[in-house]
Amino acid sequence: MEEKLIKISEAAEILGVSIDTLRRWDESGKLTAIKKGGGTHRYYREKDIEIFASNLLKFASDWISQGAEFPGTFYCPTSAVFQARLVKMEHLLMEKTGFEKLYSLIVLVAGEIGDNSFAHNLGKWPDTPGIFFGYDIQKGIIVLADRGLGILETLRRVRSDLSTHVKAVEVAFTEFLSGRAPEKRGNGLKLVREVILANPIDLFFTSGDAEVNLKGDDKSFRVTRGPNVFRGCMAKINF
Amino acid sequence: MKIKLEKFGTTLISRELGSEAFKAFQSTLLELAPNEELEIDFSGVLTLSPSWTDEFLSPLLERLGERLVLLPSDNLSVQATLKILQEANKRPFKFK
Repeated sequence: MEEKLIKISEAAEILGVSIDTLRRWDESGKLTAIKKGGGTHRYYREKDIEIFASNLLKFASDWISQGAEFPGTFYCPTSAVFQARLVKMEHLLMEKTGFEKLYSLIVLVAGEIGDNSFAHNLGKWPDTPGIFFGYDIQKGIIVLADRGLGILETLRRVRSDLSTHVKAVEVAFTEFLSGRAPEKRGNGLKLVREVILANPIDLFFTSGDAEVNLKGDDKSFRVTRGPNVFRGCMAKINF
Repeated sequence: MKIKLEKFGTTLISRELGSEAFKAFQSTLLELAPNEELEIDFSGVLTLSPSWTDEFLSPLLERLGERLVLLPSDNLSVQATLKILQEANKRPFKFK
């Protein structure tokens, strides 16, 4: 049976990118189009678009490490856009069987991590403002990322003694920083850690070369040094 | 006086909006009599974060002390947020 093909304009709308971007992605091999009978018009299998759009972690990590383009449907340029998309996700989660109570903790974790990106980088974004925010409720995955200053540079402004990403991320997740001057800093990541440790929610978080991996039934909080150096922050939440 | 937090929204996440909510609440706060308690009702709130709450409830606690009274909630994010803020502020909230 022949699969249904969609036009490039439809694929562009689904992915939230321009037709030119899709042409570029086809030429670079990032997302290959189909040309019928040797023609020049580009078509896509619906399933291919779906699979392409589902690789949230790759989009996010390619964006923060190389500035690669990703489907615009995952981009929140401002915190207002993030808030609106978070509310939409909240409603989808509330309807998921078994998540009638847990949904609020998942939204809290995603909300705090996303809001941190905006709160700490406002007016200081090195290049692209805003965050990547993608989720798949069915698969139980949320990915957030920003091309901001990262935890170390942000915390150094009030804790000049911090010298490594690992130590900075450890402080962010474990210490209440006193006073909110000169910047406002919350208790958000402290609560994120507590919530993750006590609930069936997994978290992978990275900033610089620091990684936090809280996974499975027997979680313990530890910050380790990973193989890559990421700018900004990236988080993957599984539930 | 009793206020329902859901009047400020049902997904209360960002610091920015928590701070806005606190500013917007100032005119209502003027109506609170000197010895009157302010009760905070969380019903209808779907998700409450420590960032939003730190901007709204922490300054209220500082200003009103014992006159700030929180009503119980079975929402997990409300419970978790209030717990961490009490630790951060090193000061307990008064519950009804």
